[in-house]
Amino acid sequence: MVVPFPVGRRLRPTKRLDLVWLIFLVGIVALAGRLFVLQVLERDELRARAEAQQARRLTAVTPRRPIVDRRGEVLAVDQPVADLYVHPVQFQEPAARVAEKLSPLLGRPAPALVAQWGDQPTGIRAAEDVPESVARQIRALNLNGLELSPHYIRLYPQGRVGAEIVGFVNRDRQGQAGVEQTQAPQLKVPRPAVLIRQDAQAAPLSYDLPVGLLEQDETRLQLTLDLRLQREAQEALSQALGKFQAKRGAVLVMDAQDGSLLALVSEPAFDPNQFFKYPKEEHARFKNWAVLDLYEPGSTFKPINVAIALETGRVQANTVFYDEGRITVGGWPIQNFDFSTAGGNGSIDVTRILERSSNVGMVHIMDRLPRKLYYEWLQRLGFGQNLETDLSPVSPTSLKSPGEFINYPIEAATASFGQGLSLTPLKLVQLYAALANGGRLVYPHVVRGLVDFDGNLVKPPARPAPVAVFSPQTSRTVVDMLEKVVTQGTGKPARIPGYRVGGKTGTAQKAGATGGYIQGKITSFVAVFPIEKPRYVVLAVADEPQAGNAFGSTVTAPVVKTVLEALIALEQIPPAQP
Amino acid sequence: MRPMTYRPTWSTRWQITWQPWKDIDLWLLGATLALALLGTLAIYSTGLTRDSSDWLQHSLMIGLGVALTFGLARWHYEILLQWHWVIYAAANALLVLVMFVGTTALGAERWLSIGGFHLQPSELAKLSLILSLAALLQKPRPAGLDTILQAAGVIALPWILIFLQPNLGTALVFVAIALGMLYWANIRLSWITLLLSPLVAAILFNVSLVAWGLWVLGMALTAWLTLPWPRLAAFGALIINLVSGQLGYILWGLLKDYQKDRLILFLDPDKDPLGGGYHLIQSRIAIGSGEFWGRGLFQGTQTQLSFIPEQNTDFIFSAIGEELGFVGAMTVLILFWVICLRLILIARSAKDGFGSLVVIGVLSMIIFQTLVNIGMTIGLAPITGIPLPWLSYGRSALLTNFLALGLVQSVANHRRSLRF
Repeated sequence: MVVPFPVGRRLRPTKRLDLVWLIFLVGIVALAGRLFVLQVLERDELRARAEAQQARRLTAVTPRRPIVDRRGEVLAVDQPVADLYVHPVQFQEPAARVAEKLSPLLGRPAPALVAQWGDQPTGIRAAEDVPESVARQIRALNLNGLELSPHYIRLYPQGRVGAEIVGFVNRDRQGQAGVEQTQAPQLKVPRPAVLIRQDAQAAPLSYDLPVGLLEQDETRLQLTLDLRLQREAQEALSQALGKFQAKRGAVLVMDAQDGSLLALVSEPAFDPNQFFKYPKEEHARFKNWAVLDLYEPGSTFKPINVAIALETGRVQANTVFYDEGRITVGGWPIQNFDFSTAGGNGSIDVTRILERSSNVGMVHIMDRLPRKLYYEWLQRLGFGQNLETDLSPVSPTSLKSPGEFINYPIEAATASFGQGLSLTPLKLVQLYAALANGGRLVYPHVVRGLVDFDGNLVKPPARPAPVAVFSPQTSRTVVDMLEKVVTQGTGKPARIPGYRVGGKTGTAQKAGATGGYIQGKITSFVAVFPIEKPRYVVLAVADEPQAGNAFGSTVTAPVVKTVLEALIALEQIPPAQP
Repeated sequence: MRPMTYRPTWSTRWQITWQPWKDIDLWLLGATLALALLGTLAIYSTGLTRDSSDWLQHSLMIGLGVALTFGLARWHYEILLQWHWVIYAAANALLVLVMFVGTTALGAERWLSIGGFHLQPSELAKLSLILSLAALLQKPRPAGLDTILQAAGVIALPWILIFLQPNLGTALVFVAIALGMLYWANIRLSWITLLLSPLVAAILFNVSLVAWGLWVLGMALTAWLTLPWPRLAAFGALIINLVSGQLGYILWGLLKDYQKDRLILFLDPDKDPLGGGYHLIQSRIAIGSGEFWGRGLFQGTQTQLSFIPEQNTDFIFSAIGEELGFVGAMTVLILFWVICLRLILIARSAKDGFGSLVVIGVLSMIIFQTLVNIGMTIGLAPITGIPLPWLSYGRSALLTNFLALGLVQSVANHRRSLRF
């Protein structure tokens, strides 16, 4: 049986075949045409889309480096947290069920969560800064419509202690004050900008990763600060400030050998964990005034002047001056602080002038120098320039113009007892450090540098070399004088049995913003320790103490003494050989 | 002096060995083998990052498939005329069985696990349908209404079982096979139009009411002119076309959400780029970024980075498009074209209606699956879960395709000596 095809005879085969060929033609033309469109006409666009979704610039938020003190105690550290976003439109169960599961983890009642979500379909921030442990539990719920956006927040475990040094970062993780601001480049973990390829699950391809990318950065930024000393100093200062109702205060402890700061307290302080809670008018707290604000040092500047005078050779330690107790310079009266009770001191030598903190004596000493020479010396010590430090981009000083200073004798006369020129507490410490270390101006700093996990310096920071300004003999002479101030003069409250302390009190008038002096004073005490081998300079300043008996000797000398005692204990400094 | 013995030459020996297969279609065999091997390469490529051994399974199944093809080609396919009801019963029994003890994936594709082999009865049911329809339609007269009703009955049982799985894709393949074979059986074109008319009416109802109205009237007229009992037929055609506009909505409502998404998202996959449109977008990106010459075998980044889900099965064409480019994609199209061409030639030269219809059934299956699958990967057709013959990974489907090839080769091998 042979049957013609197609089956049956009603139509001729070719007619039926025509339709088949037509389907063929349409099909193959449609497919080939579409392929041509995709692979030839739209290829660049599609290739670009492919590359866009396969490539990923590694922008993973990396933790900021921790900040530690000289012993490795943590001052600032990043903590991984996550923000929780909910997208109810993607929920696969009722919102109430999802809320019930989240409720215990977030510590918020489920109805409150549901109410917060409302009928928004997507992108609701349900919780901020969820700790990593909780985030992990949320992830384990394995629910659709939840998105955890991981990031870091900065934690300051020491709270207020050291905050004036460390500073803080804002919500965008930008340093706003202190080391967080000045050392921002060192705190950022460098990540080479790498493009890697990722698969559909956004998992990076391991063979694309540059070597070392995933190695954890264990580097920390170490400060020269000793947190224990900082804590003691802060406590002592805030007690004294409270007792005398002072407006503000500062304590600085410097290692005179290299300019490193072991403590720097500036009150009132702030809690960097809660920086956002301070109202705008209190933002002055964030400013480290010990580094940034000028004040007239008063009597604490006298030993520096003595060093200048000795260094020029115009005066010797045993040169005797006649102290009238009260004189007139260029029409202005100048008198000793105790003139009304004790009168003049008569003929006294340089050491005694310091012991008695005699203003008139100081005027006579500095009068031995031509004013131009005196002025040049002040410039050599750094007046009129900004002090270089890693604590702040700028630490200012202030000095009259050379014309004013040289032409008007009153300028040099007031400068001789520390008025009419101004500096920051930090600058004063630097000047005293020069007395303590044999005459070198060191670079004041708080940053030791980046250290590895074992505490070894990764790369020592570049610091300006010390500048010799005084001879070792001059420095030694002045330091010995400072000891006398403590043993026999105004600095007696700073005496510590068994130890040799040198120091100088200061009770200065405050210059007003428009010139002239205003009510209120600024009391200070600066110590050099230990005398037999000077190493540390300790300065305490109290601004506008209110009580009537507020002097450098009463307000700040006890603070310095407390700090010295703490230093002796912490550094295990042996008593002086008698 | 050495004794003279007859030593057959190598070529003679080969001729003797090859004798049982001398009339099979080598073009067809070559094209299918080329596709299957290309499929192995593509599956290997998609499995590289997953360390998958699917390519090995595919290769083993090709070996088995080729053996079966050669086995079937020697064999007289007419024997199946006596056995097709048994096969039909067995295929439907498996379809029922799989409903109760089958395993399911992705909400569709039910299979029976037999010693590690996943048997998909719906694939084998395609062959059974082809055989039964061919047996039914092979009469020398053009198929009449009674035959069509019988054919409808034959299709209905497995079709419903498969639709309930639910396996929409295979159900559609059944329809394509049936239409193709009815057409080849010389059923009136007007009847085919009437068969398809409710579908057209449902679409027109949503596009243009005027066009829909004209269509309904036209269909009533067609029924009046071509069917027995003209009035009743015209009335029936009228009613069916009238209600099918609304019926479309009802049927649409019966579909599951993922099925709806699959059906319409291809028009605008960016509407749901991470959901139902994801496959379509990624596949399109992969094929487009292959450009003219392709990224190179195993070098396709979309493929190697697993951006396309189910790439080794339904979306295998995207791997070829990306790694072998326009050239590779066109090669695949040409191979399919060669296959279809040879199938038509075999259908025309078959010695009987049964054989010819079997070949056309296979042809309908291949054309439909190819157009819909490739169309799906390049954004011309909705996602239907229909694999690409010989290329997609899927052992039941591959086995079915080789069995179909074996039947076709048997028809070719036993046709009249007419040559093309």
